[in-house]
Amino acid sequence: MSALLEVSELSKTYTVRNHWFQRKAIVALEPVSFTLDAKKTLAIVGEMGSGKSTLAKLLVGAEKPTSGKIKLNGQGLATGNFKQRCQHVRMIFQDSSTTLNPSLTIGQLLDEPLKLNTALNELERSQLISATLLKVGLLAEHMYFYPHMFSGGQKQRIALARAIILSPQIVILDEALASLDPSLRSQMINLLLDLQQQMGLAFVLISHDLGIVRHFSDNVLVLCKGQIVESGDTNTVLKNPKHKYTRKLIMNQQLQIAGKL
Amino acid sequence: MNLFDIRNLSIELVGKNENTLAVDRVSLSMKEGEVRGLVGESGSGKSLLAQAIIGVLDDKWKVSADRFHWRGKELLHLPVEERKAIITKDVAMIFQEPMSCLDPTTTIGEQLEEAIDNSLLTGNFWQRRKQRKEAAIKLLHKVGIKQHTKCNKSYPHQLTEAMCQRVMIAMALARQPILLIADEPTASMESTNQGQIFRLLASLNQLKNMSILLISHDLGSITHWTNTITVMYSGQFVEAGTTSQIFTQPYHPYTRALLDSSLKANSQVPTKSRLMALPGSIPILQHLPIGCRLGPRCPRAQQACVSAPKVKNYHGHQVSCHFNLKDSYR
Repeated sequence: MSALLEVSELSKTYTVRNHWFQRKAIVALEPVSFTLDAKKTLAIVGEMGSGKSTLAKLLVGAEKPTSGKIKLNGQGLATGNFKQRCQHVRMIFQDSSTTLNPSLTIGQLLDEPLKLNTALNELERSQLISATLLKVGLLAEHMYFYPHMFSGGQKQRIALARAIILSPQIVILDEALASLDPSLRSQMINLLLDLQQQMGLAFVLISHDLGIVRHFSDNVLVLCKGQIVESGDTNTVLKNPKHKYTRKLIMNQQLQIAGKL
Repeated sequence: MNLFDIRNLSIELVGKNENTLAVDRVSLSMKEGEVRGLVGESGSGKSLLAQAIIGVLDDKWKVSADRFHWRGKELLHLPVEERKAIITKDVAMIFQEPMSCLDPTTTIGEQLEEAIDNSLLTGNFWQRRKQRKEAAIKLLHKVGIKQHTKCNKSYPHQLTEAMCQRVMIAMALARQPILLIADEPTASMESTNQGQIFRLLASLNQLKNMSILLISHDLGSITHWTNTITVMYSGQFVEAGTTSQIFTQPYHPYTRALLDSSLKANSQVPTKSRLMALPGSIPILQHLPIGCRLGPRCPRAQQACVSAPKVKNYHGHQVSCHFNLKDSYR
């Protein structure tokens, strides 16, 4: 059985002009390979500057990889081919309020990906929009609202609606849960887990909160300075970290409370 | 002795026709050398409360309280100048988002030197310049920045967020305050930096006996550092007690929900199971429910909840709920 997403030897190097003619290469991501199955979640953890976000940008096609291949269902994903990629790989960003255009209603916002990627007529599009809004726990009337009328948690739901409206196979969550309040965060996690069951989504979760990673993901990749230092099943990695860097990350977060009580 | 003692503090937003009650009769008291956590989600009025304590709210807000004591002195009755003198001498605050609070057009060194008051310098006027510089460098060392010359010369945008936060703490420490109010000092920071900032605050608390009011939206992340915790929801007082009381036996349904939804706190839940979450979202200021503001979202709400509950005190563990969870622990 072939995996849903297959990444082999993917790497990214930025070249910066150092001096007039000198060029300096900065390696953001060393060659990485991994696979992801449907209905599974892959978590990517690491500190700032470890290449987490670079990897997300490469997967979604916002950056061109220096080397390596991304295969979706055995088919190669070309960098410039957005038509193919937008349908299958979608992304949710950390700060949802800045990713929503303040001058468009939610209906118009959600209409845009449909207009660009599907051949549906106007009625079908609006039906699909209201169905998607219901799916993420909002009301169909919210179509006529503007982004400023929503609270932070609701905006994150709209961002999720925009991600799943094309029924993608992979959704990338780039710190999407970090800025939410705790009670809204657990609502959002519940919603994401439900959608994963219903639609068979695969998630790529980028987070520095190991609590969420432990709860949410099946497999985990630990990145350090662009290199994978550890990978495998989430529970085994977190219970029994092999690498010094992973141990440091876990020490920093989880033993705080255990030490107190 | 209580450092400060606030009873039934209300903060109203003055409107054209009617006033909106943003903070509804909240009590808060702190002892010397105590680290108190103030926990609440966004819109719970915790930052407003902190701003009311240091008195930086403008005319749009009306602050009233039954008691507003600072080391035995009633602050609300004092003239503004006297009040300001007391507050600037003894209280310092670290604001949210250090990047946006520092002046982007001046260097860190100049801003730090500005924060050092003349009364802290001992020399004659020709020695002051040098002393000021030395004091600024000393402050940077105190917060763990070793490269003081480089830091002093740089502008806020050239430093990382954690560095900016350290500079903010250094500025707050310049007058050697008795109380430090830290308003979400680690919001949007990586976990390693978070640990460093908290450790710095904890060491200041132990070495200088400085009291700290630690404001945060995440109950799980501050429990390790606090002695006592006060929980607020939507401008109302919810629960207060020692950290272990709140953490092991929360009496209020809201605190219970906060703890259940915190993934760090209960790491034994099976993975991918549904998490406990309160339905709905935090009410906005224009449409506040009457009585207990948690009412519409609360799993234990009954008819009595339309009137605001009185604060009950069980051995220092205060809770404001008609149907609290005290009996469920027997």
